[in-house]
Amino acid sequence: MAQPRISAYLPPDIDPTKAALAFGRRALPKLNEELQSPELLTQQRALMALCDLVHDPENVYQAIALGFLDSLKTLLVHQDQTVRQKTTEVLSVMALHSIGREGLIRSGIISALAGLLDDPVDICRKNTHQIFDRLAKLPQGAGGVLQAGLISPLVLKLKAELDEVQELILDTLSNCLRVEISEALAAGAVTVLKEKLSHPSTAIRSKAAWVLLEISSHAEGKIAVCKEGVIPVLVSLLQDTQPEVQAGTAGALMFAIVTPQGRSSAMGAEAIPPLLTLVAEETSKARLNAIKTLTLLAELPESRKTLLDHRDTFHRCLEDPSEAVQRAAEIAITVIDWKP
Amino acid sequence: EVKRQRRAQKQGLARKLTQEQIQPGTPEPVEGREHVYVQTELYLEEISDRIIEVDGECQTDEFLDRPTTPLFIPAKTGKDVATQIEEGELFDFDIEVKPILEVLVGKTVEQALLEVMEEEELAQLWSHQRAFAELRNAEFAELQRLEEQDRRIREEKERRRLEHLEKLRKQKETAEKIAARAFAQRYLADLIPSVFNNLHDSGFFYDPIERDIETEFLPWLMSEVEETVQKKVLGRTMLDSLIRVVVEKRLDEFSRPPPPAPTEAPAEEPSATDAAPQVSDEADADDQPVEEEEETDQPVAEE
Repeated sequence: MAQPRISAYLPPDIDPTKAALAFGRRALPKLNEELQSPELLTQQRALMALCDLVHDPENVYQAIALGFLDSLKTLLVHQDQTVRQKTTEVLSVMALHSIGREGLIRSGIISALAGLLDDPVDICRKNTHQIFDRLAKLPQGAGGVLQAGLISPLVLKLKAELDEVQELILDTLSNCLRVEISEALAAGAVTVLKEKLSHPSTAIRSKAAWVLLEISSHAEGKIAVCKEGVIPVLVSLLQDTQPEVQAGTAGALMFAIVTPQGRSSAMGAEAIPPLLTLVAEETSKARLNAIKTLTLLAELPESRKTLLDHRDTFHRCLEDPSEAVQRAAEIAITVIDWKP
Repeated sequence: EVKRQRRAQKQGLARKLTQEQIQPGTPEPVEGREHVYVQTELYLEEISDRIIEVDGECQTDEFLDRPTTPLFIPAKTGKDVATQIEEGELFDFDIEVKPILEVLVGKTVEQALLEVMEEEELAQLWSHQRAFAELRNAEFAELQRLEEQDRRIREEKERRRLEHLEKLRKQKETAEKIAARAFAQRYLADLIPSVFNNLHDSGFFYDPIERDIETEFLPWLMSEVEETVQKKVLGRTMLDSLIRVVVEKRLDEFSRPPPPAPTEAPAEEPSATDAAPQVSDEADADDQPVEEEEETDQPVAEE
C-alpha cells in the first residue's frame, strides 16, 4: 500500500557501485562477510555501501559490535587504492560519532593507520589525518596518538605536505601537545612552527599559533620557545588582519611570557601597543588573551608605568558581556595598581 | 453468635463422620484376595488428576540471504498487437509527475538536511570545545602567572633571608674578633714583662763591655798569669838543675880522692842540707829527690 512516508531505503540497483543491502538486522553482517571476500569488486561495492551507512550512529554502534574494525584494519593495507581510500573514508566518518571514536581508540586503529602516513594517494593521506584529528579531540585519543609515537612523523610531515593536510596535522598536534610535549620538542617542532607562522594561508597561521600556545603551556616548551626566538615573530603577528591569527598569537604569547626571559624578550619586541589595540577592540576574539598577556607584562615595573596611562581601556573591558573577560580585566587592574 | 457458629461447625463435622461410617461400602476382601479397580470399557484410558500438556513453539527462521531479484522478463505469449498512443491521451504528465517529483525532491532534501545537520552538529561541538579551550587556557595562564609570581616572591624572600643571615654571621664574627683581640692584648700585656724578666734572668741581656771584659780580658789575664808563673817555675827548675849540676860536680870532684869519705860525706850532707834550706822552700820537691839521689850515691860509694 502506498504510504506518504518516504522509505529509508533507496530503490534497488540505483547505484551499481554499491552492494545491495540485506534487510533489517542482516545488512551489516552480510557486508562484513562481503568485506572479507577475496574478490576485489565485492569488497569495493561493500565499502561503498558501508560508507553511506556509517553516517547513522546506530549503524556505527552495530558495526563496531559486530567487529567490523578488524576487517577494516586488514583492508587498510590493501594494494588497491580505491579500497584504501574508501576504508579510510569509512573510518573517518566513524570517527565523527562518539561511539565510533571510542571504538576506534579501543581497537588500536591508530598504529595501523600510522603506516598510511606515507601513502602515495593524496585522499588516503588526507582521510588518515582527518581520522587522527578527530580522534585527538578526545583525551584518550590524544594519549593514543602520543603512545603510538606519531608526533615526530607528524612534525616531519608538516614540512612537506599539502596545505589542507597541514591544517589537519596542526589541529592534531595542538590537541596532542596539550598533554605532553617532550617528543615534539625533540623533533624540533618549534622551528617548523616558526616557519609556518609566516605562511600565506590564514588558517595555517592561526593553527600554528594555537599549537605554539599548547607548547608554551608546558614549562619546557616555554624555555624552547624563548630560545628559538619565536616571541618577536609572534609580536609582529599581533598586527595581522585576521582575528583568528590574532587570537592564536595572543594566546601563545600569554603562555610564553610567564617566564622572566620571555617577558624581557616581549618587552624588547615592544608587545604593548599591539596588545592594547587588541584589548580596545570591543568584539575581538583575542580580547581575553590580550588582557591576560598584558596582566603578565604588567608585573614588570617599566610596563606598569606605560599601562597606568591606559587604565581606562581596562575599565571599558569591565562592561564586556563575557564573564571571563570581566574577571581578567579586574585582575589586570589590580596588578597594574600594585605598588611594591 | 461466634459460639453458635462454632457449634454449628462441630455439628456439621460430626454428621459427616457418622454418615461416612454409616454408608455401606464394599466389604473387606477375604483373606488371600485383593480388591482391584478395573476398567471394563472397550478402550482403556489412563486416569490421572493431572491434565496431559504438551508444549509447542514456533518461530520464523533467521533471514537467509536472498539473492537479488533477477530481472523478470515473462515469456512471450499471445498475438502481437500494436497500438499508437497520441500525446496527451494516456495521462497528463504534469499531474502524474507530481508524486514522483515529490519523492525525488523529498529524498534529496532529506539527505541534504541530514548532511547539513551532521555538519552543524560537528561545528557546534567544535565551537563549544574551542570556547572551553579558551577559558581553560586563560585560567591556566592566570595560574601560571600566579605561580610565577609566587615563585619570585619566595625566591626574593629566600635571598633576603640568606643575606640577613650572612649579615648576622659577619656581625658575630666581627664581635668575636674584637673580643678575641681584647683578650689577647690583655693576656700578652702581662706576657712581655715576664718574658723580659725571664730573658734577663737567663742572661740574654748583657752589658757588652762586661761581656767583653769577661770573654777577652780575663782569659788573657789568666794566660799572662800562667806565663809568669811558668816562668817562675822555670826559673826555679833552672835553679834546681844548676844546684844539681853543681852538686854533682862537687860530688865528682870530692868522690875522686878516696880519703875521708865519711867525714866529707857528712860534710857534704850538711852542705847539702845547708844548701837545701838556702834554696827556697818551694823547691823542696826538687831537693828531696836530689837528697835522695845523694844518699843513694853515698851508700853506693860507701859500698
